[in-house]
Amino acid sequence: MNVRSLRRWAAVHKWTSLVCAVFLLLFCLTGLPLIFKHELRELLSEDPPYAALPADTPRADLDAIVATARRRHPGHVPMFVFVDDDEPKVTVGLLPSPTAPPTQTRLLKFDARTGQLLKETEPAETSGPDFLDIMLRLHRDLFAGLPGELFLGAMGLVFTASVVSGIVLYAPFMRRLAFGTVRWRRGRRLRWLDLHNLMGIVTTAWVLVVSVTGVLNELSRPLFLLYQRTDVQAMLAPYRGRPVPPLDRLSSVEAAYTLVQRDLPGRTPTSVVFPNNRVGSPHHYLVWTKGSSPLTSRLFTPVLIDAERGELAMVVDLPWYLRAIQVSRPLHFGDYGGLLLKVIWLVLDLVTIVVLASGLYLWLSRRRSPIEAQLAEFEGVADEA
Amino acid sequence: MRPSVIWRWPLLMAALTVVGLASALLGEGGAWWGLSWVALAIPLVVMAVCVVRR
Repeated sequence: MNVRSLRRWAAVHKWTSLVCAVFLLLFCLTGLPLIFKHELRELLSEDPPYAALPADTPRADLDAIVATARRRHPGHVPMFVFVDDDEPKVTVGLLPSPTAPPTQTRLLKFDARTGQLLKETEPAETSGPDFLDIMLRLHRDLFAGLPGELFLGAMGLVFTASVVSGIVLYAPFMRRLAFGTVRWRRGRRLRWLDLHNLMGIVTTAWVLVVSVTGVLNELSRPLFLLYQRTDVQAMLAPYRGRPVPPLDRLSSVEAAYTLVQRDLPGRTPTSVVFPNNRVGSPHHYLVWTKGSSPLTSRLFTPVLIDAERGELAMVVDLPWYLRAIQVSRPLHFGDYGGLLLKVIWLVLDLVTIVVLASGLYLWLSRRRSPIEAQLAEFEGVADEA
Repeated sequence: MRPSVIWRWPLLMAALTVVGLASALLGEGGAWWGLSWVALAIPLVVMAVCVVRR
């Protein structure tokens, strides 16, 4: 690499790193507790335990569970029913009105076998976010909604450019050094440069995967909106002009759920969204299903059930960009390989913080020195070493 | 130093990382997760060895 292109890549690495440094630190710090979100929620949970019942105890009727939820809040409308496959839990989401914002969602948790109400969660709007909610909002959108997501997505792209430029710069700096060399006795700056290069290059693949999947996650909302406004509208064209059916004319939720189980072998329904004008369809139950293999269990496919007739209307084929987002989620969260994978994710996150801090230190300690002078200095010292 | 020598270890670390990330995604539990943990832990162990040796 000639000096001119080396200087260009060094400038790219310096400025992209500086631009995203604060946000990368925010991602790393808020990401730490989020890696163990599930475990922390369980640890901090004060929910009553599930009934001790045999493993093959059948699930309670979903219509009865929804009816219990509606009796408890007669002025509310059911928005969704979520059936957990990890624990015997059914969650019903209620809104004060079909047009109320999602922040007013009231969650009712039931024992899936007994149908007994276990816990009621007040809407986030009134109860306020807990620690993990705050970490998630900071990590995802800085409490700024879609603009925050797009901004942090852009920061993720800038960070990706920083990583790529760091890879390009690795070879010139390592021309005369063996892999993993740390020059402990050549001064603090060289020591941190070597540690920066070593930790950065060893974790590069992981960092690239997590940053690119993070950008994809930040784009999920606008891409889902795009899909909703284009493909979904085209799918629902035959139903245009028909009013949203009132609740008392809806067919059975339980029947919709079991219909999908019966007619689509190999797919497990996970939730049923009631007809509404916001997401999904105003005329159908939207049943989210997942596959049975480890990979397809990450790929969710919506199935539309005619909400009045209770008939299977459509199995929706999601576009590639939404599939890419679905696959990217586990690769970003690290929640798909047991507790040990999460511990490894934690260590990699901490190493990334060290790489970031050492990079800042290197910039602060020699920011006036041109890249070729730095390279010459490092090579000179390497020759001596 | 030739580029192939410079990049040998970094490419090996990256390949192990990719194997580790993919194996837990393609398989459930047991050997798949074990492969994932080992493949992802090796680069961290290599890094730790380089840091602690003086």
